[in-house]
Amino acid sequence: MKNILIGVSCALSLQLAAPASTTGGTPDLFALRVGSAETITQGTIPHAVILIEHGKIVMIGQDLEIERGIPVIDRPDWVAMPGLVNCYSRAGMTSSGSNGTVPSTMASTELYPNQPVYGDLLDLGITTLGLYPPGNGIPGQAIAIRTSGSTLDEMLLSDGVYLKMLMRSNPSSKKMIRDAFEKADEYGEDVVKAREKWEKEVEKWEKEQKKSKDKDKKEEGKAAAGGDAEEDPGPGEFVEPAPDGIAGPFLSLRSKELSAMISIRKAGDYLHLLDALGEEEFDWCLRVPLRTDIDLYEIKDQLGEDKRTVVVEPRLTLMPWTMRERNIPDELSRAGANVVFVPNEDDMNNQKDWRLHVGHVVKRGMDYQAALRAMTLGPAEVLGLGERLGSLDAGKDANIIFFSGDPLQPTSKLEMVMIDGEFVSEEVVR
Amino acid sequence: MQLLKKRFLTPVFALASAAILAAPIFSASLASEDEAEEEPDTYLAVIGGDIYTGTGEVLRSATLLSKNGKIEQIGYDLYLPEGTKELDARGLRVYPGLVALSATTRLSQGTFAAGLDFHEFKPHADNEGICGDCGKDLEVIVPPALDPGEYSTEHLAVEGLKSDFDDSYDPYNGFLVMALGNGITTVQQSNTAIKLRRGRIDDVTMSDKTMTSFSWSGSNPSGKADLRDKFRAATNYLVEFRRWEELVKKDKELKEPSQKGIDSRALEVLQGRSMAKFNANSADDLLGIARLAQTNKFRPVIGGCVEGWIVAEELGRAGAYAIVTPRTRSDRTETLTRESGSSIENAAILHAAGVQVAVVPADTSIDMGGISGRDLLHLPIEAGFAVRGGMSDKAALESITIVPARLLGIDHRVGTLEVGKDADLVLTDGDILHYQTFVQYTVVGGEQVYDKQEEVFYAHIRPRAEVAVDAGEEVTEEVTEEVTPASTEE
Repeated sequence: MKNILIGVSCALSLQLAAPASTTGGTPDLFALRVGSAETITQGTIPHAVILIEHGKIVMIGQDLEIERGIPVIDRPDWVAMPGLVNCYSRAGMTSSGSNGTVPSTMASTELYPNQPVYGDLLDLGITTLGLYPPGNGIPGQAIAIRTSGSTLDEMLLSDGVYLKMLMRSNPSSKKMIRDAFEKADEYGEDVVKAREKWEKEVEKWEKEQKKSKDKDKKEEGKAAAGGDAEEDPGPGEFVEPAPDGIAGPFLSLRSKELSAMISIRKAGDYLHLLDALGEEEFDWCLRVPLRTDIDLYEIKDQLGEDKRTVVVEPRLTLMPWTMRERNIPDELSRAGANVVFVPNEDDMNNQKDWRLHVGHVVKRGMDYQAALRAMTLGPAEVLGLGERLGSLDAGKDANIIFFSGDPLQPTSKLEMVMIDGEFVSEEVVR
Repeated sequence: MQLLKKRFLTPVFALASAAILAAPIFSASLASEDEAEEEPDTYLAVIGGDIYTGTGEVLRSATLLSKNGKIEQIGYDLYLPEGTKELDARGLRVYPGLVALSATTRLSQGTFAAGLDFHEFKPHADNEGICGDCGKDLEVIVPPALDPGEYSTEHLAVEGLKSDFDDSYDPYNGFLVMALGNGITTVQQSNTAIKLRRGRIDDVTMSDKTMTSFSWSGSNPSGKADLRDKFRAATNYLVEFRRWEELVKKDKELKEPSQKGIDSRALEVLQGRSMAKFNANSADDLLGIARLAQTNKFRPVIGGCVEGWIVAEELGRAGAYAIVTPRTRSDRTETLTRESGSSIENAAILHAAGVQVAVVPADTSIDMGGISGRDLLHLPIEAGFAVRGGMSDKAALESITIVPARLLGIDHRVGTLEVGKDADLVLTDGDILHYQTFVQYTVVGGEQVYDKQEEVFYAHIRPRAEVAVDAGEEVTEEVTEEVTPASTEE
């Protein structure tokens, strides 16, 4: 493989004589010709040609004609798909959780870049990670990172991508959510009060100004040369008081600058969550750890109707009290919910077996395209990066992974990983 | 309420658009927009069953119509409004939903450690399914028992009664479905009455804190004396208070009698704000409680009541309620000259003496480990044993419906099938007190929430016969030999 690549780059330098812009060995502009491409948004494109410039996909299509002079990497036996996105992970993070409402906590503060784990994940084709803050209650906001780079700046894609919340069927949990929104309400009242106060000050100042002007006039009459009295600068522009650590993020939720990921443990929690949220409207998705006997199918129609994004493991479960198999991801997907997959566990083995597990769920009935989407564009949208990542479309980052065959087929080999237009995985490039 | 809105919004809009579409053709039926936005009435008709109203009457092959969760009509040849859902009850019996006293909180909290306090466990930083402190899977950490004392009356909100159970109610849990599958539609959780609603969390709490517990035990004479004093003082206070109420009309200066030193719990009972609950089994204790109640003029609720049959007359005169388990066995004490020990006739004798008898099974949990046949799911069977001891079928049915409903202060809503009450019904394929009888359907609040053939628990046992009944044809009770796939699974 390495030979081929070297061959390619040799050919490039011969053809183009353009210096390779990066260490990854790809030029600024080049074309990839692969056996087929899973685009996620436009289905499977056979004989796909992907044109990449400066780390972005410029064009993708079937048998596109490549302009003379553009270097071509030709791999007719490869299947290309967007880099995997794991939107819910704690990889490389070690802090222990908080236990209350601390929505201003940013997971970025505990990111220690340049750890081998990120490189390992990249080798597995996971090009984007969402890292969440640990803890109960409302523990804080997650970040989205690239799995390559050696500094925070290089790795960070987006900070404050979603606010994590835990919801359980109990009074204290419901109260916690209501209280947090109440804080946001209180802040609104504080602003109104502050404005009133400011307006009064302005009024007072204007009166004083008027008075002193009258005085000045009188004084002018008496003595013309007395006009060097100090000018009062007045109260100035109105400055809103800064919201506190709870009100701030919840105001951002309301203004839809921030979204939320709300974790529940069973179907009943969802009803209590809706009850607790009342008429609050903001963007939120649901996180449900799929335990063996989960009853999530009870609310699948409701989730489908709401077109709710549900973050689950690619796991087959059992009908409670029985040994009958249930395929909840499939059921949710068919009901109309937007299923997003995360690895079964947040360890290396499960990250490695992620596509294998997804393949298992597909074998048991889940739609193939929906499953691929649940590992790419779905989680990218959860991270607020749906415009930039998650599919093979013009304008998106060239995060592409290449398999020797069907990506969900266990015998298919991950041949190559590309992030931002660069081949990164030395080990794979043998 | 929010949820309710959500549930109804879609059909309402659908209706509205349907009305607009239909407008040119059926202009007469075009509802005004205001009307269309209102929640439509929901009807359910249970047709052709033998209706055991629980008040003594049986209406053969009658129909029960429920409107918005309440019983609208019971009778024959009823007019069924358009859109009425129909439940074929031909060949079945229709009973009021059963009321289970002191039931396990599993019924409302589910199996998934829902009762855990939100801040009591710390999930592992890397795996939220595991407790960070003990490393155990969070599923297996059993929720702590709920302390009835923790519930405050703050939840007595304007729009309806609420308890902490409302916010932790799991409307999908398997125990709940099992209870519904055994005819139980209302349960007592701690000191709260809960309606077993399936798939929704609104209107769950029916009553809160209707009973106050007192201790009365032969082994604690000073405790008995103490309690006697408390009740006497409370009675005296009430007498003083009423006298003052009269006198103060003439003499405005008169001071109100002080409540200082008066036991508030005893006062609550005497003022009728809650019922006094005792647990006692020996005839001596029962007699003592009866005397205490008669002296202070309240109606005691006595749990256990094993030797009640010996002092039944006294208990009857005291207007007592007894919560009994007919299958309880306790041996005769040979050293006593009086009668002693348990009797299968206990419930029957108590009932004959005028005691209101409620029945509970020996174990009010749901458990298959060793007590199968004596747990909460065998509530009607337990009542059947009261019949074995001589109680009438009617009184036995009352002992698991209207009498426990009275104890929970919800007899105006459940316990019998009467117009205006909640449409909580159980449809069985035979006498509900018979051990072979299965619940075929359960209806709570006018919604069908259980169908034997649709649930995993009993569908494979004597599957319901697919009886093809055309108009005029006799109902045939043919049991198909076909087995469902469930029973063939090894």
